[in-house]
Amino acid sequence: MIFDPHLAWQSLPQLLRGAAMTIMVTVPIVALGLCLAIPLALARLSHYRWLRAFAAAYVVIFRGTPSLILLYLIYSGLGNIEAVRASPLWIVLSKAYPCAVIGFVLVHSAYVVEILRGGLEAVPVGLIEAGQALGLSPRTLFLTVRLPVALRYALRAYQNEVLIIIKSTAAVSAITVVDLMAVANEIFYLTYDPFTPLIAAGMLYWGIINLVRGGFDLADRRLNAHLFAARPVRTTGRPAALFAVPQQGTIA
Amino acid sequence: MLSLLSFGDTGYGAQLAFGALLTVEVASFGYALALVLGTAIALATRAGDGWRWALWRGYASIFMSVPSLLVIFFIYFGGGQIVDAALRLVGLSARLQVTPFAAGVAGLSIVYAAYLAEVVRSAIWNVPRGQFEAAAALRIPPWLSWLRIISPQVLRLALPGLVNLWIVVMKDTALVSLVGLKDIIAQAKTAAGSTREPFLFYIVAACFFVAMNWITFLVAGRLERRTARALTVAGA
Repeated sequence: MIFDPHLAWQSLPQLLRGAAMTIMVTVPIVALGLCLAIPLALARLSHYRWLRAFAAAYVVIFRGTPSLILLYLIYSGLGNIEAVRASPLWIVLSKAYPCAVIGFVLVHSAYVVEILRGGLEAVPVGLIEAGQALGLSPRTLFLTVRLPVALRYALRAYQNEVLIIIKSTAAVSAITVVDLMAVANEIFYLTYDPFTPLIAAGMLYWGIINLVRGGFDLADRRLNAHLFAARPVRTTGRPAALFAVPQQGTIA
Repeated sequence: MLSLLSFGDTGYGAQLAFGALLTVEVASFGYALALVLGTAIALATRAGDGWRWALWRGYASIFMSVPSLLVIFFIYFGGGQIVDAALRLVGLSARLQVTPFAAGVAGLSIVYAAYLAEVVRSAIWNVPRGQFEAAAALRIPPWLSWLRIISPQVLRLALPGLVNLWIVVMKDTALVSLVGLKDIIAQAKTAAGSTREPFLFYIVAACFFVAMNWITFLVAGRLERRTARALTVAGA
């Protein structure tokens, strides 16, 4: 098993272009995913039964389906429908990149809905009542009290989900988007070196993931500063875990 | 159109069913191996310090920061050479070709061992210290106390995380089709290509995964009640 630094250095520009594509896929997924997830989380908590049912079905379907199937479904499935081909939507759907983004936005938002719902439900009732007592309109109350507090509660779970979606985007290579994973495979097929390109790509993924994780750590320290002052003393078996454990409902 | 799903010469029902079986097999083997490896890691690192902890942090950092697809490709392309090199150390030589099935199982178990180790270890840490002390005070041999006192509580505490990861592994199994495993997705893709009905076949594949999730939740609910029976009041 040999890592060839020369080959790694030679293919670095290509790999970096791949990494740039991975980032270019991820950023709109995360941004659009959050935009889509906020109204859906509200629907999930709505007074109307049909809204709740719709949001619940959305979550069950898109959390339950592997992203690879959604990518195939959107990329090659939709193109098979005449009405889609004829519509202006085809300009978007005939290219692999938008299909990759749409597929992952559906999956990502379904997970974020549940994370946000958990955060929103954890906002203390007293805080909301205090806002109402001060005469805040429901809109202001939501935007300045409930949502920011919910985001703080949900930050760690949200971090896990974002890290997972970055790693999952490796699947976009299946629908011809040339991301980091695809570039590594291309180099393998050119050189038949099974180790160097994949290890180099792995290092770049490691760098991206840990940069994002560092960013979330900073955000956590800023937003949840009050929690860092007095972390509770553990009374159970062993010393405190050094890093947060992805627990139920947070992984992938 | 639905006749395309029939079993027999005219439909793809049999192929899809075989694919589904293969998907379940890869997921089950991968998860079982990951659970064994993860539990071993959790037990080895439960002190939370020392060289084992340092080693574990390295392992976790690598495999939690790299896509599982990359690990699967790595094993598929390079696994044969790695095994060959390892065998050569003990004076043997073998030309191995890693099958997609083996690459999938190995890749998933290496990656998810890290996640499962986290879940199991944090469950061990969350068993109240008094339980360990009471077992020791009663002079119960350590192996017996781990078997009869600690592990049932670990199972109860770890269950939500274990179930969640089973679903994740199940969905990640879809990726193994990219190294050539003829799983349900590969079969759906072939059928979609030759019948020009991609929508039908991909929806069927998606339904399979959603149904597997549903079954998982049913089983998990029963398991949860069973592992929590010590916490319920008798006769209530």
